[in-house]
Amino acid sequence: MIKISDLSPRTRQILGWLVTVGSAFLCLLLLLTRWPGMELLGIGPNWLLIWVAIWSLKRTVFQGAIAGLALGMIQDGMTSLYPTHTLSLILVGVLSARIQKQRYIQEDFISIALIVFGLSILAETVTAIQYILPGDVASLGLEYPTRTWSETWLDYQRIALCSAILSSLWSPVLYYPLTSWWEQTNSEQYYD
Amino acid sequence: MYSLRRWWERHGLQVVLVSLTLGTAWVLQQTQGAAILDFYQLLTRPFQSGANKEERLTNARIQELEARLQDLQKQNQQLKQVIKYQKTRQQPGIVSPVIGRSADSWWQQITLGRGSQDGIKVGFAVMAPGGLVGRVVSVSARSSRVLLISDPSSRIGVAIARSRHLGYLRGQGSNRAVMQFFDKVPNVRPGDFVVTSSVSRLFSPGLPVGRVKSVNLQKNPAPEAAIEITAPISFLEWAIVYPASK
Repeated sequence: MIKISDLSPRTRQILGWLVTVGSAFLCLLLLLTRWPGMELLGIGPNWLLIWVAIWSLKRTVFQGAIAGLALGMIQDGMTSLYPTHTLSLILVGVLSARIQKQRYIQEDFISIALIVFGLSILAETVTAIQYILPGDVASLGLEYPTRTWSETWLDYQRIALCSAILSSLWSPVLYYPLTSWWEQTNSEQYYD
Repeated sequence: MYSLRRWWERHGLQVVLVSLTLGTAWVLQQTQGAAILDFYQLLTRPFQSGANKEERLTNARIQELEARLQDLQKQNQQLKQVIKYQKTRQQPGIVSPVIGRSADSWWQQITLGRGSQDGIKVGFAVMAPGGLVGRVVSVSARSSRVLLISDPSSRIGVAIARSRHLGYLRGQGSNRAVMQFFDKVPNVRPGDFVVTSSVSRLFSPGLPVGRVKSVNLQKNPAPEAAIEITAPISFLEWAIVYPASK
């Protein structure tokens, strides 16, 4: 078993990046799955949202926003450019970085679950608002998913609640390995 | 110049990392996540159920119906020859496993484990046991993404099989859909079968879609019917992809 502290700083850095990118990539793959026990009414946990929230918790607002933008762009590619996921994920990154968990909130899985619950309700609200915005967006030539007010409201209730419950329940699965890894590898620049 | 170099020494790595991240994200966005989907297809390959599910699902009842259908098709062909009817060419379908669902909760999509290498193109119709399920909207080398007919953005031209009254079908999530009629007083009743219409630009006519559950003739601006999609959309394990009609 190799100890991480024995590795050279350069190797540690590269390994750190690999784990970060790898975990985000794993979340992208998990988005496509609906495993038994991981879905409610055909809706799975929002893994990208969990990842962005955990990434931003102890980082700067800028880092949180960049992570949200990059992953939102990729998710847009995997579904559709409109409604965009970049807005909601940037908001999640920025808010999660602003919370300053280590200062105000205790370090346990209840608090991370609560944060993810709130943020995913917020993220689904942003998406729902994009659906009910007036149809000017249709003129952009994108494949515009038209929904009526009542349809959006029904879908919003179902999606926001299921996604928030599942995401918050599954967030510790990502939170523990990732935070303990980041604390071990770059403890000196982690709390800047 | 010196201050520029010092700035670069302090922030250079961050600038490179940020542009690298956003660049990769942009490429993935433009290619519609093709690399991710292909990798996912490779990973899930050991768990994909193949075409042998097809055999497992056939039972005596289906065989009996197939036998009757063949007989009717034969008669139909002979009759068509008599009246010199232009025959639409039946092309073979591509059987492909369903490897994933939609990448977010607002869309009703599925990911198939066959792509452009197997001859699938954008616009192909996707069928499952039970009837039509959707249309291919993007293709990568080894996978393809299907917009299900249960998605609210999906609109297809359909007809009531019994009375040939036309309308269009809009998805409402899971296995529900709404059919809006073009006629003010359509001849329709619960239990009627719904098929794709001959005026549909996306699908060839006559593909089974669903059954009428209830009818609301008072609805404005056009009468509506609630449709139950016959294909088991929530638990699809494989699907058959057919070339687009036009």
